[in-house]
Amino acid sequence: MGLFGEAKLLARGRDWRGRSRTPRSAEPFAPVRAPREFPTAWARTPAAGAVRTAIQRGVLRPLVWSQTSPEVSGLDLIEGVTGPVIFIANHASHLDAPLILGSLPGRFTRRMAVGAAADYFFDARWRAGLTALVFNAFPVERQGSRRLRSLAPRLLDEGWNLLLFPEGTRSQDGWMNQFRLGTAQLCCTRGVPAVPLAVRGSFAAMPRGRNWPRPDRPKVALHYGRPVRPDPDESMRHFNERLCAAASRLWVEEDLGWYGSLRAQARGAVALPTGPAGAGWRRVWESTRPLPDPRPRDVWDRRR
Amino acid sequence: MSRPGFVLEVDERTPPLLVHQGEGFRLEQFPLGTKVIYPPESLPGIRDVDGAIDHALRHPHGMEPLPELLRPGMRLTIVFDDISIPLPPMRTPDIRQRIIEAVLEMAAAAGVDDVELLAANALHRRMTPAELKRTVGERVYASFWPDHLRNHDAEDRANLTHLGQTRHGEDVEINRRAAESDLIVYVNVTLTAMSGGDKSVSVGLASYRSLRAHHNVHTLRHSRSFNDPPSSAMHHSYARMAGVLDEHIRVFTVETTVNNDTFPAHVGFLNKREWEWTLADQAAYLAVRRANEVTPAKLRRAVWHKTVAPYGITGIAAGLPAEVHPLTLERVHRQQLTEVDGQSDIAIMGLPYICPYNVNSIMNPILVMCLGMGYFFNLYRGRPIVRQGGALIMYHPMRNEFHPVHHPSYIDFFEEVLAETTDPATIETKFEEQFATDPWYVHLYRNSYAYHGVHPFYMWYWGAHAMEHVGDVIFVGADRTAAARMGFRVASTLADALEMARDTVGSSPSISYLHTPPLTMADVR
Repeated sequence: MGLFGEAKLLARGRDWRGRSRTPRSAEPFAPVRAPREFPTAWARTPAAGAVRTAIQRGVLRPLVWSQTSPEVSGLDLIEGVTGPVIFIANHASHLDAPLILGSLPGRFTRRMAVGAAADYFFDARWRAGLTALVFNAFPVERQGSRRLRSLAPRLLDEGWNLLLFPEGTRSQDGWMNQFRLGTAQLCCTRGVPAVPLAVRGSFAAMPRGRNWPRPDRPKVALHYGRPVRPDPDESMRHFNERLCAAASRLWVEEDLGWYGSLRAQARGAVALPTGPAGAGWRRVWESTRPLPDPRPRDVWDRRR
Repeated sequence: MSRPGFVLEVDERTPPLLVHQGEGFRLEQFPLGTKVIYPPESLPGIRDVDGAIDHALRHPHGMEPLPELLRPGMRLTIVFDDISIPLPPMRTPDIRQRIIEAVLEMAAAAGVDDVELLAANALHRRMTPAELKRTVGERVYASFWPDHLRNHDAEDRANLTHLGQTRHGEDVEINRRAAESDLIVYVNVTLTAMSGGDKSVSVGLASYRSLRAHHNVHTLRHSRSFNDPPSSAMHHSYARMAGVLDEHIRVFTVETTVNNDTFPAHVGFLNKREWEWTLADQAAYLAVRRANEVTPAKLRRAVWHKTVAPYGITGIAAGLPAEVHPLTLERVHRQQLTEVDGQSDIAIMGLPYICPYNVNSIMNPILVMCLGMGYFFNLYRGRPIVRQGGALIMYHPMRNEFHPVHHPSYIDFFEEVLAETTDPATIETKFEEQFATDPWYVHLYRNSYAYHGVHPFYMWYWGAHAMEHVGDVIFVGADRTAAARMGFRVASTLADALEMARDTVGSSPSISYLHTPPLTMADVR
């Protein structure tokens, strides 16, 4: 083999500086480092709170309300609620948190922290910082393996309201999934009430994969329910079932109306809304069907 | 701190790896998944070697301090390992020189007049005066050569003493001067785990009559491996002989171990792991390889044999051989042992330009076989690297060249014996006696610089265990005629060799590459 051939062989697997990557089996043993929690305490300071309120009320809410047509019901049911409370909602879109924060009265949102997936929102520092500032987000571990200690109990103790999505992730098809036990456990151990709410139409407005709501200001509906309090000797599994039932009823409230949904629940006809059985496309098809919009038609708008 | 040895698994990140190939080397891209056995990195050498020697002589294991063993009027014989170790030879001053000088200082202080120095060369060729001078140093050479600094002569009947037989009927016959000495100080360099201990005197100063007891096909086939003394029938024999020797002679052994600094700085890349080569290493690789290729063969060999190793000394221990040797073995293992998980279907080895029997000489085909299937194959503890019936792929040009002065009996062995059979047992029965007692070979051994007539037989027996164990032997880049004479097949490239090995090990074999030198001993679990 000539010199050129030798040099070519030598250069195989090396970069332009002549450096080779270390074969995997030759890499030195490195102990797995405990994940470092992104510090979020700064986002709960009064200054950050003021900035957040300005962003939420001055930018986020007008923006979301300009791109969607939210309909909010049931806020009267939480008028008398004081003290830390956990808002739990189904989760189908990145629109959910801005919609909920935009729809709630300021007395809740000023002291509101939002649980956000640690592996999604807190993997890059810029994203973590932005999420913490705008939503007062704190990291929530979705996989139990990394053993980050949750901030939620401490926040409740400090008097913060929480907004949690107990499904753990955004829905794949727009329908609801079973609630995980974390929220129920939090309510039971801390003795705080949970306010269930259902968000309808957000999946149709901005499903996974979209980063902006679809045009035409699609309708989204938020139905708040009555606060649910854990009984002193209630197991967290039972309480979780009650939360699930409450959220499911609020879900069908959009279709059946308030009284209709109550009657359906009394009949035992309200189950977890998981969509039609059968092929996956049918569930997506149904969940993206536009919500009935009672608004009068704009005769000058040709697109409608 | 030196990093331990490890087994690399070739992945897509692995650059081509270095393979020794006689008086040269090459880069080879191994198949993905190949296990590459690397030795531990070189251990740090002792800084104050002379201080360590002095301490070892004054604080021996299981014996009185050396100055207390020396007295006026005694017969003192200093025996030292010959040129066959370490490999490559050590940068001067040789550790043997330093130890011998320290011993002689003490002997002079104690008033010892009758001092003899013997090279323990057994049936190896005599060391030349220049080689002796290089080993023992200028002062010792000037003071003792030629009357009191000699090579051991295993054919000098008048100067051999038969000390008895072991319970297995093995003759113990050693150099008369040593046998009649009041004290033998044995100066050893333990390069691999097979050397030192009981082997030193019972082999180094023995005669053919004594050596044939353990240097035979049966013993070597039951030495698994001969680098692991507890599992080596050969070492069991040495131990029995040492039992007889202990009744007649007193040995104060000084054992030393070296680290893995095998190659000097200008070819320092040979000591490094390939993915850690700097640009300077890569440039040195290209330059040395290119220069190596264009250099005439004779000059190339001369240059390689002029290469000396900047070994560091990792330990010196003195005293009773039985107490010293375990400490030595522990140090050798610390430097060379790499744990390997399981055997492979194919073992690959790159054979370098040197083996114990061609220092300042030519590596003939028989020595190539001995280095590969003898020494390298047996660099294991537990189980061989390759499974029973597997294939052995080795790199060496294996030129059909012999040194006419050093290896005369090898030429006849190659031309006459191997032409008839390659079976070690048949060779032993049919030809050994004839070669061992041939007066011309004996004459050349005693008066020229020839290896003993029986030595090529021992080389062949050295590979007997491997020949029995493996199903196929393929040499990459070897001379076809020479390889065919010895019953091996030849491939041009590794890909061809792997293709040829399919018949033996199937189409998706597991492969291990023993990345040595520097020396690596596989601890196969």
